[in-house]
Amino acid sequence: MLSSKRKMKEMAENLAFTLPAFLLAALMIYIPFIMSGYYSLTKWNGIAKEPKFIGLENFKTILIESKDFINSLLFTGKYTLVFVVFSNVIALALAVALTRKIKLANFFRGVFFIPYIMSMTIVGFIWKFIFSSGFEQIYKATQWGWLNLSWLGDPKLAFYSVVFVGIWQQLGFYIVLYIAGLQAVPSDVLEAATVDGANGWQKFFRVTLPLLGPSITTCIFMSLTNALKVFDIILALTKGGPGNSTYSVTLQIYNEAFTSNNYGLGSAESIVYFLFVLVITQVVLKIFSSREVDL
Amino acid sequence: MNMKQKKAFKNWLVFIVIFVIAIFYFYPVLLMFANSFKSLGDVIKSPISMPKELVIQNYKDVIKKMDYLRLFRNNVIITVLGIVGIVFFSSAAAYILDRRRNKYTKIMYTLIITPMLIPFQTIMITLLKAMTIVHLSGSKIGLGIQYWGFGVPMATFIFYNFMKTIPKEIDESAKIDGASTFRTYISVIFPLLKSVTFTVIVLDVMWIWNDFLLPLLMVNSNKETKTLVLAAYTFVGSMNTKWHYAMTGMVLAVVPSIIVFIFLQKYIVEGVVAGAVKG
Repeated sequence: MLSSKRKMKEMAENLAFTLPAFLLAALMIYIPFIMSGYYSLTKWNGIAKEPKFIGLENFKTILIESKDFINSLLFTGKYTLVFVVFSNVIALALAVALTRKIKLANFFRGVFFIPYIMSMTIVGFIWKFIFSSGFEQIYKATQWGWLNLSWLGDPKLAFYSVVFVGIWQQLGFYIVLYIAGLQAVPSDVLEAATVDGANGWQKFFRVTLPLLGPSITTCIFMSLTNALKVFDIILALTKGGPGNSTYSVTLQIYNEAFTSNNYGLGSAESIVYFLFVLVITQVVLKIFSSREVDL
Repeated sequence: MNMKQKKAFKNWLVFIVIFVIAIFYFYPVLLMFANSFKSLGDVIKSPISMPKELVIQNYKDVIKKMDYLRLFRNNVIITVLGIVGIVFFSSAAAYILDRRRNKYTKIMYTLIITPMLIPFQTIMITLLKAMTIVHLSGSKIGLGIQYWGFGVPMATFIFYNFMKTIPKEIDESAKIDGASTFRTYISVIFPLLKSVTFTVIVLDVMWIWNDFLLPLLMVNSNKETKTLVLAAYTFVGSMNTKWHYAMTGMVLAVVPSIIVFIFLQKYIVEGVVAGAVKG
């Protein structure tokens, strides 16, 4: 009798402590997610009371009939690839430099980190100003041709401008993660390599880099998920233009629903986007974590 | 040159290179500040130079035009409400999830942390509908509460991983002294979570304070409920010819984060690193 009473009490405590967290996640995330699944099968403009059930029609529209969604997925994929590669390579290089015994290393780390704590829309606006007024002014003074190009007006260049600003905003975050990783590489292993006659480059590629595995996995994963979600910077810089050349999938979903009032189509796009993100992140995570080396 | 001198020389070279890169890297931020102190004519005539004289009037005008103090207060209310809920609900859940390992807690743990895999943009359309039904859209308090749901999965995950490092003997001795489970959690366990609580706070403040998309969906239609970043976005967009005001608005939007960062740099960087490694 006593033990069943105690069991009841324990069960009540389990619920009291954990149920609120679950219910909050359910209300904000699970329920809307399930609703998205349902609305993706309907024609719904957001205002009509009853959405009309139309089966997989929406998926046919976004994947086969209309090119907009596929193009936005392609842009996002391309953006992600370039973003992940460059932000990681540059951040690692700067992190290596900043872990040497140089003056003001902490100060520099702070300088690189500051854009990361700024709102992304503001970052977009700053660069919009620089790409237009700033570049024009320097061009007048120097006559350097590349400053006179239309960095936000030309579809090809706008892609690079958007990636560049995205990297500029986040680089500091990856730098501090790589610095933490580099500082954890045991110095005796590096000394042993020196004794064995390894030069600086050999030490970096044969010892440091393999031991940095967990940091690399973390940074690749973080940069991947951040790039796949890109939204604010593009909204502030180009609004998806010129000619849809920087139209990210998140912007596409947002406008499909809230500008064009095609909530059904937007929900279908959300579901495809979810699967797209899930597959890419899981595959990349698997590849990188299987390559990690233990000491 | 011997080895040591060679190394010192190399470090000195690296210093110079980094110094030059850092100047270029930081120049856009500096430029924003510089232009916010110029008259409109000066911004247009010489957009990339430092100001000749400091025009404080921009700030007086923009603070009034944006209704800055109200925005600042809104941001504080939403961020504090969000953080308090996230820390409380997540740490409480993580405590039981770690201490009582059975079938129930195992399922619960999976259910609470799985939403980390669902990108916000996947659910934003239907979220607005769901939040309208439960009357959480359109208000500051409602927005703050919504952050609980979005913050809990990651925070629970971080708290849970840390909870493992706190020896169980501590709660057992509290129990022997007659403390209830809730009492043990509040007065014994929670104080021991200080460092990880700090990590969670740093990560979530940076996220909520600067968040754009959720406030855009929930509180953008009313002047009373707008957040700082939202208002700055609208303000800068409407000032696309008055760059001196636009720049001032931008500075006002980011300056709270920068001031906090300058004072707490060490802790913020540590918190971000800890959060990324554990998350």
